[in-house]
Amino acid sequence: MVNFTVEEIRALMDKPANIRNMSVIAHVDHGKSTLTDSLVQRAGIISAAKAGEQRFTDTRKDEQDRCITIKSTAISLYSHMADEDDLKDIPQKVEGNDFLINLIDSPGHVDFSSEVTAALRVTDGALVVVDCVEGVCVQTETVLRQALGERIKPVCIVNKVDRALLELQVSKEDLYQSFSRTIESVNVVISTYFDKALGDVQVQPYQGTVAFGSGLHGWGFTVRQFAVKYAKKFGVDKSKMMERLWGDNYFNPKTKKWTKVGEHEGQPLERAFNQFILDPIFKIFAAIMNFKKDEIPTLLTKLEIKLSGEEKDLEGKQLLKVVMRKFLPAADALLEMMVIHLPSPVTAQKYRAATLYEGPPDDESCIGIRDCDPKAPLMLYVSKMVPTSDKGRFYAFGRVFSGTVRSGLKVRIQGPNYTPGKKEDLFIKAIQRTILMMGRNIEPIEDVPAGNILGLVGVDQFLLKSGTLTTSETAHNLKVMKFSVSPVVQRSVEVKNANDLPKLVEGLKRLSKSDPCVLAFINEAGEHIVAGAGELHLEICLKDLEEDHAGVPLRVSDPVVSYRESVGGVSSMTALSKSPNKHNRLYVTAQPLDEEVSRDIESGKISPRDDIKARARVLADEHGWDVTDARKIWCFGPETTGANLLVDQTKAVQYLNEIKDSVVSGFQWATKEGPVAEEPMRSVRFNIMDVTLHADAIHRGGGQLIPTTRRVLYAAALLADPGILEPVYLVEIQVPEQAMGGIYGVLTRRRGHVFSEEQRPGTPLFNVKAYLPVNESFGFTADLRSHTGGQAFPQSVFDHWQILPGGSPLDPSTKPGQVVQAMRKRKGIKEIVPGVENVSHSPILVNYLVAKADWQYYDKL
Amino acid sequence: MTTLKTPPVLSTPANHIFEGQPAVSASDSSSKLLDEQLYVTYEIERTIDEIRKERYSRVALQFPDTMLPDAPRVFEALSEGLDPTLSPDRRRARPTNSDQDLNGVEELSMTSKKLHAVRFYILADTSYGACCVDEIAAQHINADAVVHYGRACLSPTARIPVIHIFTVQQFQDQSSLIRDFEEFYVDPQAKVILMADVTYQDHLGKITAILQSHGYTNLYMTDIMHDPSSPLPNRTVPDEVKADPAKLKTWQLFHISDPPESLLLTLASRLASIRIYPASTTDGERYRKPFLASTSRALNRRYALLTSVSTASVFGILVNTLSVRDYLHIVEHVKYQIQAAGKKSYTFVVGKVNAAKVANFSEIGAWIVIGCWESSLIDSKDFWKPVLTPFELELALKADSERVWTGEWSSDFQSILQVSQSGDSAEWRNGHKTGGIVDGKEDRELDSEEESAPPDYDLRTGRYVSHARPMRKPYLSASGSKNLPSNFLARRTSGDLAVVGGEASPGAEYLKSKRVWKGLGSDFEIAYEDEGAIIEQGRSGIARGYTHDQEGPRI
Repeated sequence: MVNFTVEEIRALMDKPANIRNMSVIAHVDHGKSTLTDSLVQRAGIISAAKAGEQRFTDTRKDEQDRCITIKSTAISLYSHMADEDDLKDIPQKVEGNDFLINLIDSPGHVDFSSEVTAALRVTDGALVVVDCVEGVCVQTETVLRQALGERIKPVCIVNKVDRALLELQVSKEDLYQSFSRTIESVNVVISTYFDKALGDVQVQPYQGTVAFGSGLHGWGFTVRQFAVKYAKKFGVDKSKMMERLWGDNYFNPKTKKWTKVGEHEGQPLERAFNQFILDPIFKIFAAIMNFKKDEIPTLLTKLEIKLSGEEKDLEGKQLLKVVMRKFLPAADALLEMMVIHLPSPVTAQKYRAATLYEGPPDDESCIGIRDCDPKAPLMLYVSKMVPTSDKGRFYAFGRVFSGTVRSGLKVRIQGPNYTPGKKEDLFIKAIQRTILMMGRNIEPIEDVPAGNILGLVGVDQFLLKSGTLTTSETAHNLKVMKFSVSPVVQRSVEVKNANDLPKLVEGLKRLSKSDPCVLAFINEAGEHIVAGAGELHLEICLKDLEEDHAGVPLRVSDPVVSYRESVGGVSSMTALSKSPNKHNRLYVTAQPLDEEVSRDIESGKISPRDDIKARARVLADEHGWDVTDARKIWCFGPETTGANLLVDQTKAVQYLNEIKDSVVSGFQWATKEGPVAEEPMRSVRFNIMDVTLHADAIHRGGGQLIPTTRRVLYAAALLADPGILEPVYLVEIQVPEQAMGGIYGVLTRRRGHVFSEEQRPGTPLFNVKAYLPVNESFGFTADLRSHTGGQAFPQSVFDHWQILPGGSPLDPSTKPGQVVQAMRKRKGIKEIVPGVENVSHSPILVNYLVAKADWQYYDKL
Repeated sequence: MTTLKTPPVLSTPANHIFEGQPAVSASDSSSKLLDEQLYVTYEIERTIDEIRKERYSRVALQFPDTMLPDAPRVFEALSEGLDPTLSPDRRRARPTNSDQDLNGVEELSMTSKKLHAVRFYILADTSYGACCVDEIAAQHINADAVVHYGRACLSPTARIPVIHIFTVQQFQDQSSLIRDFEEFYVDPQAKVILMADVTYQDHLGKITAILQSHGYTNLYMTDIMHDPSSPLPNRTVPDEVKADPAKLKTWQLFHISDPPESLLLTLASRLASIRIYPASTTDGERYRKPFLASTSRALNRRYALLTSVSTASVFGILVNTLSVRDYLHIVEHVKYQIQAAGKKSYTFVVGKVNAAKVANFSEIGAWIVIGCWESSLIDSKDFWKPVLTPFELELALKADSERVWTGEWSSDFQSILQVSQSGDSAEWRNGHKTGGIVDGKEDRELDSEEESAPPDYDLRTGRYVSHARPMRKPYLSASGSKNLPSNFLARRTSGDLAVVGGEASPGAEYLKSKRVWKGLGSDFEIAYEDEGAIIEQGRSGIARGYTHDQEGPRI
């Protein structure tokens, strides 16, 4: 029984102060979807009996089968806050006591991190779920870091407390210690990524920003809830009570006084948290699980819990569930925590506007976002595409940051490559319909004002994965999302029956739309490639492709790692290439970029869209660049955003600006398909040393210079000690002590190495962290399980690139040489890497002598 | 003449020297042929016979670059052989193959006395490929016939009769070929087609005979015929294949000498397997084992290339032949196809295609080469934009939802023309066209005019590419109503705005004002741009005192 209507929700949408947009984030298997269920149940969408088991937000069949969330799913909930006192505690403006909660459940597996990124962008708050036994894991940290990077305020729930009580049978004090350790490690992560604009967002139980509970059993509580109860009972101030119920606070029953010391006259005192909060819970558990039937009714009356006739007959875990759910409903704790502590769009967009918007902070769009103004020009960010029942069409899922969107509104659709004032990646289109996303269902809605999350019909053809929708002609883009994972694992697919090719092509198009991270393309060798973040991700994508998007039988190749080409040193001499018409010459050298610079570029810290002078400042101050060089970066590549730079170091060359576009195109081409194995380049800096050009514009056109640029860059790279970079995973393995030995064996065989090994306090579990080349990771999980008796659970996330060791890739007798040869063979190109002299079109040896002579000559001048 | 080892660089590009013609599989030109060999290799007698029989009076001799050093001697031999003033005795001194031949020559020489002398011309630099007959050059000298030396693509020509001399290559190691053949095809029942490059065709008969004597029963020896669109280009096919071309799939191919890339790609999907016996003994001393040809990689690369074209909006049609029959039809056909797909095309004639020439037109998104079936496949990374054959274009222009790639490949455009004439493709085209219009209408009903068309998905990069062409709509409507622009030349008045379909277009204006071309010289204007300075009287005298300032006071 859905206890709210679309009309009610629509009415609430106009009160942005009463909206909470939040995502549920955590490590895999910490219980996000299960917790979400209890909220969905509260809204009456699913029955209480099924909550915790149904995982309503896991809408796909394979999600249900595998018990893993793959896609993030949004749902809008209506919440009513009955207690006027609670309203007063909300540290921001509210209107009335009805709230709209837009909740997004996100996947926890690292391979689907891109879904989390897409969810975080459209929300302002995050519910961080932490398993009280496993504690903070690698993915907890990753998603938390991403959330803080987006200026999203976290609240925390320590989940699976039932496990601690039933399986581990811990004492009250141990449980408290475990809670406080977990919260502390969450706070360590939060303080590491401290953001001034967001302020201090560490979570504290005594502030009410931490909840404890069990998603499976559907119960949960915050310190605040208990404080309210006891404040009434004892007649003390609520906020004072909250502080006393956590930390080193003790109530001395003899003196009836609060102390900070845990001892009184040699007798240990019980911690207030244990005494007032854990004690009743432990009592219930003890009574029900030990089948003390006589104690139960008295306990229930004491706690004012009424059971229905049928429920009274239950016993054991079933009874425990019912009792606990009535005593401490999880939804109450969570809703209270969200409503009180998470920011409304009005509050959040004030500090988020600067990080959301690419343009100047004082234009109408940015002011509209800052004020969350429904009358300002529309600014809407589409963060992902959700498949519809209509095959091949998608809902564009996004958030209105400013203005109001309604059906029939004609909007400017700006793709990720749009730059203001240009037509590239800009489309104009009317929105067909606006809809509300309700898990697996949708509800049509007339219009949606600023601050809300929605789905759009009719714009999916214009955006591949994400983009900005606006009505202002001067609006810049909302910042493009940066994913923490990159598609480093590839598999090629082909149809079993040649006539199915069009269906495969169509399927690939749909696939690349349906996932924020996956790439689908045809490579140089004519293979259809699907690239994803990891093995699981690819497996899911290919299954979707075969069964859903393409619907034809496919042959899938073994996974292949995408490598990068780089250089190890400075070019041994200046490379020279002449244009096909011999009238233009380019002189270029290559050198490696610092790893820090490459990382900054990839993380978006240094980006091609930055102000040139600001960027030069950063490069000069933090990375020791020459300021003049730093200001003369012509472009980034490949795809204009990659971690290769083209730097102009020429002096006084006439017409240089006219050929810039051509040289940049050649650079994009060359960095996309490098000289060694046609893999993309990474971390290479090319310096244009000198250019000679023909005086007539026609003789130095793009056709002449683009291939020349490519050749000269190849020559420069080949002269600079070329190397192959392979991607490396950071693997986190949770394993009991006795199974540790197996891990080392498996890792060593796969060229991996362990760099950290920690025991989780209070458990026999060890956390092992290791680096593992992606190339060696295929089948790693299965291998590891078989060597540890199924006790080790690895999580691999792409971490960095490393040079493939073992010699020059140009020498086929070395390991990199063999890798290159295999790659070239697969791509159908000559297996031997062409020498420098082949890359240059004209007899290069002569040219090199000329080049050298020229340079010696220049030096003398 | 003997000092010239390689042809002089005139109009051929400089890099030509270094790269060489990929299709040429001729022997090393530096080894000088003996006179006798020259007679055999260049089939002087047969040439003379043919010329006599047809009574040609002006004959063009076309040599590929590698054979040019022999050209003067061939010329001499031919003119001597046909010189009516020479006595038969002198001619008898020439080495001949048989008495019968000798008699024939004598007889003919009697009749030829009444004829005027035959004039020979050597065509040194071919305009397009060495494999094609250069009809245009031959027409310049008003030739009656062309003698084409070296390996040829045998494309049908339109204007001038051609005598093909394939210049028989020596083939030493017959026994090893037989041995290898038996190693590969253990089963004597194996259905094998024997095929050789035209320059080795003469040996094929002998080899087949030997193999048959070794017990192979299902051999088929191909013969040369002039039909590039045959299932085996330019070769006869077994009878059962004639009836049903699909049967070819049951045959295996044994090819003597390296076939050109385009032949390999064409045959790849038609036969069960292809084995290549590398015959050229000149490259290195080491003996090369016959190998199984693997073309799937090469074909897949072509597929990647043609998918990258599907988002291009401006096409360049490169005419790389002026002699292959129906080349004008295929140009028209390609133009029509491109237009039907809603894209633009321009036609170019640049002579021999190379990256430098093509690079001058940076606006072109993709190139289509119209040439003979061997030379229209240009597979080189030097080109900035992809270069396709008409067959590949047809695939590239299909919508993603219709494109099927089976690995079947053809470089011969005749087959495309045949298909289009048989109405099959016309039907497809009509269907496609009406489909397009219906789509357009649907869209228009839903949206108003200002709205943009959805972008294309670029398969090569996996991104969306906008194909917005702002001036496109009026242009289309104009052509749709059959309101074709007149063909009359009109003098363009300067200062006018560039107009496309009745609207001023900034894009066209840019091209009109900024795109100028100055070649090395002009055919019409020889006068120098700057006039030379007027001659003036200079100083004279000695340094002590020049004559012009003698009037001044002396110091």
